[in-house]
Amino acid sequence: MVNAPFSQDQEVVTMFKRMWKSRSGYLFILPKYILFTIFVLIPIIWSFFVSFQEYRIFGTEWVGLRNFQDAFQDDLFWVAVGNTLRYAAVVMPSTVIIALILATLIHPLRRGAQTFFRASFYLPTVASSVVIAMVWRWIFQTRYGIANYFLGLVGIEPINWLHSSAWALKSVIIMAVLTPPGVGIILYLAAMGSIPEDLYEAARIDGANRFVQWWRITLPLLKPTTLYLMIVSTIGSFQVFDQVMLMTQGGPGYATTTIVHRIYNVAFRDFQFGYAGAMSMLLFVAIITLAFVQSKLVSSDVEFKG
Amino acid sequence: MSKKLNFLMVLVLVLLVSTSAFASWKGTITLWDAPRWGNEDDDKFHWIKDKIAEFEASHPGVKIELVETPWAELGEKLSVAIAGRAWPDIVPVDISGAINRNHLEQGVVEPLDAFMTSEELEDFFPGALQAYTYHDKLYGIPMSMTVHVMLLNLDHFEEAGVEPPVDGRWTWDEFLEKAKALTFDSDGDGVIDKYGFSTYILQGYYEAWPFFYMDGAEPIVDGKFGFNSPEAISAIQKLVDLKLVHGAAPVEMGSSDVGGTFRALAREGERHVAIQPWNTWAIATVTGEGVNHLPNVMVAEYPSGDAGQPVTVGGAGGWVVMHQRDRQKLDVVVEFAKFLSTTEEQYTFATEYGTFPARKSAEALDPFADKPHMARAAQMVGQAVPLPEHPNWAQIDDRIQAELQLIFAGEKTVEQGMNDAAQQVQRLLR
Repeated sequence: MVNAPFSQDQEVVTMFKRMWKSRSGYLFILPKYILFTIFVLIPIIWSFFVSFQEYRIFGTEWVGLRNFQDAFQDDLFWVAVGNTLRYAAVVMPSTVIIALILATLIHPLRRGAQTFFRASFYLPTVASSVVIAMVWRWIFQTRYGIANYFLGLVGIEPINWLHSSAWALKSVIIMAVLTPPGVGIILYLAAMGSIPEDLYEAARIDGANRFVQWWRITLPLLKPTTLYLMIVSTIGSFQVFDQVMLMTQGGPGYATTTIVHRIYNVAFRDFQFGYAGAMSMLLFVAIITLAFVQSKLVSSDVEFKG
Repeated sequence: MSKKLNFLMVLVLVLLVSTSAFASWKGTITLWDAPRWGNEDDDKFHWIKDKIAEFEASHPGVKIELVETPWAELGEKLSVAIAGRAWPDIVPVDISGAINRNHLEQGVVEPLDAFMTSEELEDFFPGALQAYTYHDKLYGIPMSMTVHVMLLNLDHFEEAGVEPPVDGRWTWDEFLEKAKALTFDSDGDGVIDKYGFSTYILQGYYEAWPFFYMDGAEPIVDGKFGFNSPEAISAIQKLVDLKLVHGAAPVEMGSSDVGGTFRALAREGERHVAIQPWNTWAIATVTGEGVNHLPNVMVAEYPSGDAGQPVTVGGAGGWVVMHQRDRQKLDVVVEFAKFLSTTEEQYTFATEYGTFPARKSAEALDPFADKPHMARAAQMVGQAVPLPEHPNWAQIDDRIQAELQLIFAGEKTVEQGMNDAAQQVQRLLR
């Protein structure tokens, strides 16, 4: 007990020594960390503090929890929450499942074919979301859009995709689901490549067919990747904004208004930064909670032993 | 004695010159501007660059930094700049969008009354000054005025065998009859592919709104929501029926698709709507070169309704001076804003850029002598009504337009939509 402070000091010294030894590594991440601090960490902390204030250009006022109360009483906030949940409920699982299916189909191919498909499916990830949304706007155009053209070929009446409450959110969801999940495919392929071949050999000797091998070996061993993709996809789905902004601007009415779109309007159109900060904090807590629940439900220790 | 006097006079002169030199501010003024009209090199900032060079030459030590910003990004960029208290010194916006009444109340924009003489103010049209006035203070120097007008594709009229309105004037009933007659199947496949009318509904845009005023309604009357009055309901219902009952508008009418709506009127290969309301900038576009050139176009008034007179929604453009800590700098910034808004410059804007002058003296120079469409639109300035002044206007507008979108999509009745809007707007009006 008497030596405890001394041992803590020693621990700190040891920690700094270890850091000094690995200084090249820290130097490599330093530029990224500085940018992260400036553009992510500080704004998050700032928005936390501003959520308790009525933010004004000259002089702000501390209002305690009033902004949070306002959020809970704001009908549009709840409309946005509903739309975001509907979007996430479809897009999150679809993204993970489609990535898994495509990676499963690509993985057995020869190296050249694998590279081709990997690059093809990754392309939308590096393309600007603005460009992708513009293309989808054209696809969903009522009069000249290709979606209605194909429906017309089978005798279905044109759908007012982006301008009817019944279809607008579905259109945004369809766009998100049909945009290939490039990152997911790459991660699944990498994870599949690291599964030891002898597990499959043993299964084959035991008479397992390909589906059984996939179901009993591949799928369970991909759990860490699946968990990661579920969490990342959930965060992405809850933060959906650019597609909505570009395709429907939250309308018609508020049919496609999502949480982040609402936050954006409240902050940059209505200049209620405190209220927007409060909604951001609520979103932050919701995402953290969901990610925690997902990790508890899906997580498992997976270890490949040679 | 005379030598001493001379010396004294020189000393006084030197002192005066040096004092005035210290008094006149030196430094950098930041100006944001958006594309205007191009020169032979297609530089759409050439006008402002020339004006900057002139001003800098006459004000040694003053440097003006130009930030070129597309119109589409100007509002959003300014909003972010204001939030970060990093605004420019001068910006070409009105006071109902990116700069709104809340900003004025918070002192983000400089009131300019002290810098304008009564003679100077008298040279501006009252509507232009009103557009920049809030709580009896002037918050900008008007440069131009705009109104919304109806653009008619006369080739479409000819194809349908419909006579355009005489002198661009029509009643609602005449307008409706023509819109119905302009709606037809042009290629004989049994499907309607040409429509009489279309427009869009979107927060911050008011092309459709003059229709809602035509029976005598206003959005806010005595601090209360006015678009659920019988006059407003009847006017909105007429336009809704044009689409949903008479089928004289395409299914997209009333959506938020601005680009698609314009292409339906003007874009070569996509034209299928005969009449659309637009801000006057569109006149220059459809009468200019390019894929949006309409060979036969007419500018008409909005139809008159039960109120008996046609109405349009007007606006103004100009220069807003943002809050300055340094009062000496403020003097120079205002001087520069005034330098950009002279009679000559407003005349140039009218002839080259297609806006109506905010100054009577520029109007008197007859800038539209060889531009009949602009001259016709200029006659409608007197029909213009301003949008309501309210600190929460952006939010109020958002609620009204969202309900209008649902009404025009056929998802709510006019009464239902406007009563729902009333409930939401009334809270914002308090």
